[in-house]
Amino acid sequence: MLLLSVVVTPTRASTHDEVNALMRAGKFTVALDRANAYLNSQPRDPQMRFLKGVIQRESGQTSQAIATFTQLTRDYPQLPEPYNNLAVLYASQNEYEKARSALEMALRTNPSYATAHENLADVYAKLASQAYHKALQFDGNNTEVQPNLAMIREVFNTEAKGQSPILATAREVNRVEPASPSVEDPVRPSAANGIADEEVKSSVLAWAGAWASKSMKNYLGAYSPGYYPGNKSSRKQWEKERQQRILGKASISVQLENLEVQVQGDKARASFRQHYKADSFSASGLKVLELEKIGGRWLIVKEAIGD
Amino acid sequence: MTKGLAVLAFVLACSVPGTPLHAKDAATQAGLRLVSSSRAEARLIEIYRLTGNGHISEALTQARKLVQDHPNFQLAHLVYGDLLASRARPVRAIGDVPGPLDTSARSTLSALHHEAQMRIKALRERPPAHTIPSQFLALSPHVKHAIAIDASRSRLYLFANSEQGMTLLSDYYISVGKLGISKNVEGDRRTPLGVYFITNNLDPKSLGDFYGTGALPINYPNVLDTRRGKTGHGIWLHGTPPNQFSRAPRATDGCVVLANPDLNQIIRTVQVRATPVVISQRLEWVPEHSTVERRKPFEQVLTAWRNAKSSGDLNQLLSFYTADFNSHGKTLREWVPSLRNEVKRVRGRTIQLKDLSYLRWTDHADTMVVTFGEVPDGSRNGPTKRQYWIREGDQWKIFFEGVIG
Repeated sequence: MLLLSVVVTPTRASTHDEVNALMRAGKFTVALDRANAYLNSQPRDPQMRFLKGVIQRESGQTSQAIATFTQLTRDYPQLPEPYNNLAVLYASQNEYEKARSALEMALRTNPSYATAHENLADVYAKLASQAYHKALQFDGNNTEVQPNLAMIREVFNTEAKGQSPILATAREVNRVEPASPSVEDPVRPSAANGIADEEVKSSVLAWAGAWASKSMKNYLGAYSPGYYPGNKSSRKQWEKERQQRILGKASISVQLENLEVQVQGDKARASFRQHYKADSFSASGLKVLELEKIGGRWLIVKEAIGD
Repeated sequence: MTKGLAVLAFVLACSVPGTPLHAKDAATQAGLRLVSSSRAEARLIEIYRLTGNGHISEALTQARKLVQDHPNFQLAHLVYGDLLASRARPVRAIGDVPGPLDTSARSTLSALHHEAQMRIKALRERPPAHTIPSQFLALSPHVKHAIAIDASRSRLYLFANSEQGMTLLSDYYISVGKLGISKNVEGDRRTPLGVYFITNNLDPKSLGDFYGTGALPINYPNVLDTRRGKTGHGIWLHGTPPNQFSRAPRATDGCVVLANPDLNQIIRTVQVRATPVVISQRLEWVPEHSTVERRKPFEQVLTAWRNAKSSGDLNQLLSFYTADFNSHGKTLREWVPSLRNEVKRVRGRTIQLKDLSYLRWTDHADTMVVTFGEVPDGSRNGPTKRQYWIREGDQWKIFFEGVIG
């Protein structure tokens, strides 16, 4: 799952970031207290309410989390993330029809919302499995695992465009410092930079190619050993999940548009518009990869999507 | 739209082999003539049609409603599952259930495939207009309804009958014996073939859940069956248990099983003892207007028998009976005295055959099941009789005769 890590934006150490950090550290009670305190003065703030919902979910308060996200969908029906997270919560309670409705709402607000697309595909697969069970009258002992739906944890950006908070999940996070020359990094011959650019580009294209051809070894090998999947799951879990997701598709197409690369020493940032198609659904969106040159190869250390 | 095409393929995949026909044509055709058929089935076929035409969203919506209305309709769940799955992956065939299936699930799935195939087949291969099954040579207008079952199509056809002839009212998907048709011995899990009559309408309260909303026993083994040494009993038309809307095409111990809503309609319609039930491996549909012509030869035979009986010539009358005649255990020799008494009572009056029906059953033998009221001129009424005739060379002879009411 393309799940984004929540990254504290270094330039804006806000209460949101603090709450976020507390949550990441597993200090749910304190995080929730902070969030509530903040909401006392800013009761409508969608970012903090969203965070509160995530904390509630993380700390096992499922029904409270459902209430928080439900209210958010009422107050901010144009935001897809609360619908998505509501769907995740419903799915965790085996309410797959409700999860489906919520995800369809998320996609109505943002048709290219990749996370909701993938989650919806999982919910459809689960509903299909239930229907098949009824068709074949399997005994009630349904040993199938629950789909692992992706919860969005980002704080989204509410600053743009008047009153309506506009989603900016990945754009905000994972920002790489502008590649400006610094003292430690004296200006290199442009040819060298050009070579590094090409190296990064070909690594990114190889990654996309491995994904589309479902070559799991090459796909997973494109990520740095230290890659942190960002949704609390271990690297191993993440790999398993990716494997299920990718090999579960009959066909995948990944096309990259406007691939831009910035290289700074052993670090690079690649941004592009990703056109993803798998079987019956497609999604397009901005993607940012951060790469590091490790052992002579450019490997992905962070992956982020944006709208 | 790739998923539309993928699902189209599964509609075609379940069509009848050897007669390729576009799914759209098939279902439209079926849909047009489906008005009187089972409502749930019509909805299922409409979902297949929508799917075949690539209207996946609409098909999904309708499938969701269908499983809500009929939570025990396995085939509806199957297509619903396929439609849901097609949102996440390509669906290649009807019931494209992922993952390894155990033996029981595999056999259930193949039974559901079979059921879908049979339902589609029966709706695609409709009886031509103004035709009736060939067995119905003469049906008294007092017999208001008739049933014909085509095992090769898993289908029961329900007719209305009147002075104007027979009209197809509805037809329904049915299940027959696990081991098919042509019942021979008790416990062979086969459904009998022949001409039968509904003998009873059992109170559902007296039945287990297994039989659904009711049961209509038929008179298996009939006289012909007994003569052939067939055994077994308790062949019923009955419904389905609560957890199953319908059963697989071959699922019963020999009974004919219908979905409960369909059975209820039949129970409301038929008359105990009067309604004939023809069970055939494959019905032959003949133009109704040809009936007059087709019944002529046997009509002449019956008239000759009637004349012999009216004339009081016992020897001539006895020439109409087979040597191995048997009436409820009486041999011809044992039965002659009562025939002689009957002839005496007629006293040369002309016998009228009232409310005459005869149904022809042809397998390796050619037989006729005849029912009539035997009323001599001057009498107001007479006994209702049933005879079984068999053709020996070019001669029709009676091998059973009895009073049934």
